[in-house]
Amino acid sequence: MITLRDVCKAYGQFQVLSHCSTHVAKGEVVVVCGPSGSGKSTLIKTVNGLEPVNAGEIIIDGVSVTARGTNLSTLRARVGMVFQHFELFPHLSIIQNLMLAQVKVLKRTRPQAHKKGMALLDRVGLVAQAHKFPGQLSGGQQQRVAIARALAMDPVALLFDEPTSALDPEMINEVLDVMIELAREGMTMMVVTHEMGFARKVANRVIFMDRGEIVEDAEKNAFFDQPRSERAQQFLSKILVH
Amino acid sequence: MSYNWNWSIFFEPSLDGTHTYLTTLLWGAGWTLATAFAAFAIALSLGSVVGVARTAPQAWVRALSTCFVEVLRNVPLLVQMFLWYFVLPELLPDELGTWLKQLPDAQFYTAVVCLGCYHAARMAEVVRAGLQSLPGGQRMAGQALGLNLAQTYRYVLLPMAYRIVVPAITSEFLSCTKNTSVALAIGLMELTGSARAMQENSFQIFEAFSAATTLYLALNLIIIFAMRRVERLAVVPGYGTPQKAA
Repeated sequence: MITLRDVCKAYGQFQVLSHCSTHVAKGEVVVVCGPSGSGKSTLIKTVNGLEPVNAGEIIIDGVSVTARGTNLSTLRARVGMVFQHFELFPHLSIIQNLMLAQVKVLKRTRPQAHKKGMALLDRVGLVAQAHKFPGQLSGGQQQRVAIARALAMDPVALLFDEPTSALDPEMINEVLDVMIELAREGMTMMVVTHEMGFARKVANRVIFMDRGEIVEDAEKNAFFDQPRSERAQQFLSKILVH
Repeated sequence: MSYNWNWSIFFEPSLDGTHTYLTTLLWGAGWTLATAFAAFAIALSLGSVVGVARTAPQAWVRALSTCFVEVLRNVPLLVQMFLWYFVLPELLPDELGTWLKQLPDAQFYTAVVCLGCYHAARMAEVVRAGLQSLPGGQRMAGQALGLNLAQTYRYVLLPMAYRIVVPAITSEFLSCTKNTSVALAIGLMELTGSARAMQENSFQIFEAFSAATTLYLALNLIIIFAMRRVERLAVVPGYGTPQKAA
């Protein structure tokens, strides 16, 4: 579904990503972790072309993201993305947030888009908030809306960029629950997160990054039980102590 | 100070012999109003385009719009007024230049275009400030949903940017209204022009400029109240801190 081959990116002299390659199969859940500054957020943003790359190739569902002449807008409409800071549109009500791209990009009629939006809000338990504005919702609620907004486009895969790191602790679970449910339904997901509990529960594979490189790309249990690299061992020992 | 106050001067016939001074002043206010609104319409639309261009991903678009802004906001308005009115027709091909000079109400059109461009440059900076105050993730979120760049600006970035800068837009509108008085230099009989004509012909300088002052104040107060309404309509529930303006 998602293939990265030798992806490289540099800001001037600083190499953000060097020779990153991986593959996410349909229905697979891959968790990307690593210390801050390791390039994991940049990596996930290259997948739908939000961050341009200097070299390498990225292919989603048979379409190249990196090839010249690819219509990135069309491609992005098929890949959902959830951001650390939610990025709902503050001037639109919750239901309007869910309808905007359906109407403008997918050319659905307003009643169709409204119906789909309400169904998704029901799914994330926020129907009652449909006519409120993002600023009137809690962080956890906003992130659930953001997931629903991504789902409204009927994406072939979902990308998550640290979806719970801007949330208060008591709101993390309500977002993770939605993500776990999606994973169990067979959604293809690539998730940058520090939530190792989430990784243990639903991930198929874990990618560990450090200094712009994919250091480890392993099956979940293999990663947690016997990380091969020293850097991954250190990282795990630091975040799993508590 | 020996001064002959004569408030009834307003009802005496002005130099044109048919209208009272009051009527000519009100005509002047009318020209001011027309110039201000037409120029501000240009400023708002052209300024938005240039302001967006200042934040565009393409370097050459940004460079071009920066040139527009820096040239137009750094040359004094009075100089610009002369350039548009006296110099431009000479630089154009003969036929076009003559047509421009013989245009009825040429002063009015020139003033509108000149003020419009000048305030467009300033408005562009206001719009840019609004756009750049938004978190970078907003643009990404729009594009991640499949909106193209134009749609991202139209539906995601600009609606918020405008809301944030409404108070600055109000200020620009007021400046634009007051700056119409510069058009007196190219002979537009707007409010300041008619007050000056009244003073020159009647020697009642205090009455003439009291009237002009009152009319300018009234005009701008109307704009302020209208823009307050716009400000209230622009409030986004739950966004930012609720402000209590006096």
